[in-house]
Amino acid sequence: MEPSLSVDIAGIKMKNPVMTASGTFGSGVEYSDFVDLSKLGAIVTKGVTLNERLGNPTPRIYETPCGMLNSIGLQNKGVEAFIREDLKFLEKFDVPVIVNIAGSTIEEYTRVAERLSEESMVKGLELNISCPNVKDGGLAFGASVKSAVKVTSAVRKTTRLPLIVKLSPNVGNIVDIAKGVEDVGADAVSLINTLIGMAIDINSFEPQLANVFGGLSGPAVKPIAVAMVWQVSQAVDIPVIGMGGIINAEDALEFFLVGAKAIAVGTANFIYPEATIKIINGLREFLKKSDFKNISDIINKVKV
Amino acid sequence: MSHIEARILTKKEVAQDIFKLSLFCPEIASTVIPGQFVHIECGKDKKFILRRPFSVHRQINEDVFEILFQVVGKGTKSLAEVEVDSCLDIIGPLGNGFKIPDDCKNVLLVAGGIGVAPLVFLAEKLFLSKISFNVLIGCANCQKVVRFPLKDEMTGKIYFSTDDGSLGSKGNAADLLLNHLRKNEKPDRIFACGPEPMLKAVTSIATRNGISCFLSLEERMACGIGACLSCVCKTKSGNKRVCVDGPVFNAFDILWE
Repeated sequence: MEPSLSVDIAGIKMKNPVMTASGTFGSGVEYSDFVDLSKLGAIVTKGVTLNERLGNPTPRIYETPCGMLNSIGLQNKGVEAFIREDLKFLEKFDVPVIVNIAGSTIEEYTRVAERLSEESMVKGLELNISCPNVKDGGLAFGASVKSAVKVTSAVRKTTRLPLIVKLSPNVGNIVDIAKGVEDVGADAVSLINTLIGMAIDINSFEPQLANVFGGLSGPAVKPIAVAMVWQVSQAVDIPVIGMGGIINAEDALEFFLVGAKAIAVGTANFIYPEATIKIINGLREFLKKSDFKNISDIINKVKV
Repeated sequence: MSHIEARILTKKEVAQDIFKLSLFCPEIASTVIPGQFVHIECGKDKKFILRRPFSVHRQINEDVFEILFQVVGKGTKSLAEVEVDSCLDIIGPLGNGFKIPDDCKNVLLVAGGIGVAPLVFLAEKLFLSKISFNVLIGCANCQKVVRFPLKDEMTGKIYFSTDDGSLGSKGNAADLLLNHLRKNEKPDRIFACGPEPMLKAVTSIATRNGISCFLSLEERMACGIGACLSCVCKTKSGNKRVCVDGPVFNAFDILWE
């Protein structure tokens, strides 16, 4: 018998526990030549803001050992164009759509959440709390428990959709943030977002990114992500979605073993556009080979 | 568009730090058009996680195409060390190529350094379409000059300039272009590829002379298929992605930073 990969994350029913990480998969359009989108656990779209954002100047990326830095700057066409074009495109696929939302103020988050809650295609919201809060000196919403709780509870009040809060690793204690957002109604947490990084061109003495800082992702961050997923999954009761440097099924298995109920594939999409499908197949093979009947049989089974 | 393994048939260092690879890959060779590129995984040890984009240099036949590249960093260094008969993981062909309007009779190709790569493929297509053309190539010095493989029966002339004057006239590709336009009939269109300062200079010369001009741009890329939004350039109609909206753009649409 085929092992079961299906999971339920905060009421979102998925065929398998493999999602796309926000910002690495567009809205799926670009990948539809490589991947049957209906085979994915869920699509998490690129971050959507209230109005169009042009993003940062280039260069926006730089490759680092086993990873990359990016500072795209949330380039997106705004929530209305997103609904009109991207959601419309996704209608023909049988896959839950989770929309990642971002903002510079709490009001921007709530307005985007409200608008998306009117769309039946949207099965969940993922809150990107790593954005700078313009009313708090540009400090990220996710940088302190207080501000993370504030934005989460504000969005919670505006939507009945499953609410996933995407946690930043650039904090003193990620467990405190996770517990804080759980307390104010987050239905799940996803982690980790990228780590702040910087790289310098030694010939020009200039930063490699026009925006100076960028977010580090890729295999280089995986051990950090595994550690944080382990810490958070021990501390909260809501589902944890693990991400950070997952390239293949073996990487994904590490995250399940430390308590993730689902995983998201990010940077790997850039290198191997079919990465998500290969990971789904690899997970199924692993379960079969090891005689597990259900993906839940291995969740949180690390022997520590 | 395919994601496949392509076997390396030949590898040759054709100028200082400039390599040519011929790849057996019918899926790409049979469909690629001039100006399109391929996205290649350069380090088999996965140390360099991102692919590197290379424009197609020549279409040898329905099965084989070539790329031409300069070793500038770790990825290209690793690619220069690949062994003949081994395979490369490739996505392509990607992007929009050079468009040649039907009423185009006389074309000028302007290359800066390794920017010559896609223009050779374009020149071969122009020849097959019986469109006359000339080629201007600016390089750092004579060691960096790549032979432009025009067959004898091709009508185009090739002019060189080098920064140090070691081959052709002394100066850059833009100087060469200015000089050429002074002495020759105005072309119907300029196609250019090279470093950004040169492309800016070519654009401004084309503007002043009222010549239609198309550029192949280069920008750091991650996915190569339009998702990551790394490789954007500013245009009159907003941000465009070099990988899927380009890499060839109308020079007059670009808003240089």
